[in-house]
Amino acid sequence: MTGDNLTGGYQDTGPAPGDVDLDRVWLGVAAQVWRRQPGSAERAAGRLLRSPGLARALVTTPSLLLGWVIATVVILLAGIGFTLGTGTPWVALLAPAVAAAGIAYAYGPGIDPAWELSQSMAVSDRMVLLTRALAVFGLNAALGLAASAASGAAAAVTFGWLVPMTAVCALALAAATVTRSPNVGVAAGSAGWVIAILAGQAAEGRSTAAITDSFLVLPYLAFAACCGAVVLFATRIPRGTS
Amino acid sequence: MNVELTELTRKFGRTQAVAGVTLQAGPGVFGLLGPNGAGKTSLLRMMATVLPPTSGTLRLLGRDPGGYVPRREIRRRLGYLPQNLGYYPGFTVTDFVEYFALLKDMPPMQVPRAVAAAIEQVGLGDRARAKLRTLSGGMLRRVGIAQAIVNEPELLLLDEPTAGLDPEQRVVFRALLREFGQRATVIVSTHLVEDVGAACSEVTLMDAGRIVFHGTPDELIARGVGHGVGDAPLERGYSAVLAAARS
Repeated sequence: MTGDNLTGGYQDTGPAPGDVDLDRVWLGVAAQVWRRQPGSAERAAGRLLRSPGLARALVTTPSLLLGWVIATVVILLAGIGFTLGTGTPWVALLAPAVAAAGIAYAYGPGIDPAWELSQSMAVSDRMVLLTRALAVFGLNAALGLAASAASGAAAAVTFGWLVPMTAVCALALAAATVTRSPNVGVAAGSAGWVIAILAGQAAEGRSTAAITDSFLVLPYLAFAACCGAVVLFATRIPRGTS
Repeated sequence: MNVELTELTRKFGRTQAVAGVTLQAGPGVFGLLGPNGAGKTSLLRMMATVLPPTSGTLRLLGRDPGGYVPRREIRRRLGYLPQNLGYYPGFTVTDFVEYFALLKDMPPMQVPRAVAAAIEQVGLGDRARAKLRTLSGGMLRRVGIAQAIVNEPELLLLDEPTAGLDPEQRVVFRALLREFGQRATVIVSTHLVEDVGAACSEVTLMDAGRIVFHGTPDELIARGVGHGVGDAPLERGYSAVLAAARS
């Protein structure tokens, strides 16, 4: 048996030269071996947001993970089926509540185990909140619009729920942020939306009144703005430290 | 001075957690001792810019954390290990440390090497690709320390860093503290007086939100000669100072 057999064909070159810092070499190797390769979505978000940290925070949003998105699609597909079967625009009625749940689970101490640590980071938690909320809202709006269109709803219904969805999402976000619980956010958003639908039905006898009545647009937007102000207040860091 | 606190207070409702603390700290390792509820964690959280003070002046790394821009600059140079480190079970050790390196705004090109160095410094090189849910409590604590030091902080705040570490790991950790103390301000809140004796150049003892002693470990030991209770000289000094403060 030769030395080559023992060393698998590699030549034994003896000990490393004295001027080689093996720790430094190993760190270089470890950095490459352990390095995580960001996915295409994260790379694109990093370029768009100009912050790799914010991009990483975005792609780790619980309600943007694949399982959650699949669940959203399944609910909307079921809504399409019910809409086609019954004539009631279920997609339009479901989409705001589904989006509100996604928003409530996008941000906050209730869903972030390392919440305190993340509050001490240079990338501010408010930026993380804004980025995640916009992304979740945008994705849910796109999926809901596609589902609405696929269900053959009238244009007033297809686009009518976008403004109510904004208000319901803002309510869910405010409740989740103030109470520090995503479940409370989901409950508040869903309950608010059910109340709006029932109130519309009681007033006009149509379940779609909360979606199609144009005079409700301003109240919805005003309510969303108030909820946004609550979120800003709840996530502020007061001055006065000096 | 990296840390300048003047008459700092923090109230939670009617409870005064920190009651007029004045403290200055430059490079070195500072031990923060005190019984449960003394205000150590609240003080550390204010220095970590997580908790705003109710009143008083706080300057960190020569900046006022009350403004957005200086606060962001402070946070880039800050390392913080909270008492309760939450973690993402599906993340690997590398993922976790890298995530916080990115959130600290480190230049992306520097991140992989800094992450590897931090993981090696806490002795978790062989678990770098392990999911956090598979790690023991002591290993998770070391992951927390790794994320705190990944950006080579100028101000390192550690709340009970040795909780869950075995004696061998604590010895290694104290050496790491001393090394960081050469170039940074390291403030360690702990219940373990032996950590203070082994690693800290100065010690601050808090009780009921106030500083009741500030000096070197030797000075604290001297306060316990002929007084106090405890098995070790530092413990006797600790108990003697607390007894005097409460009398």
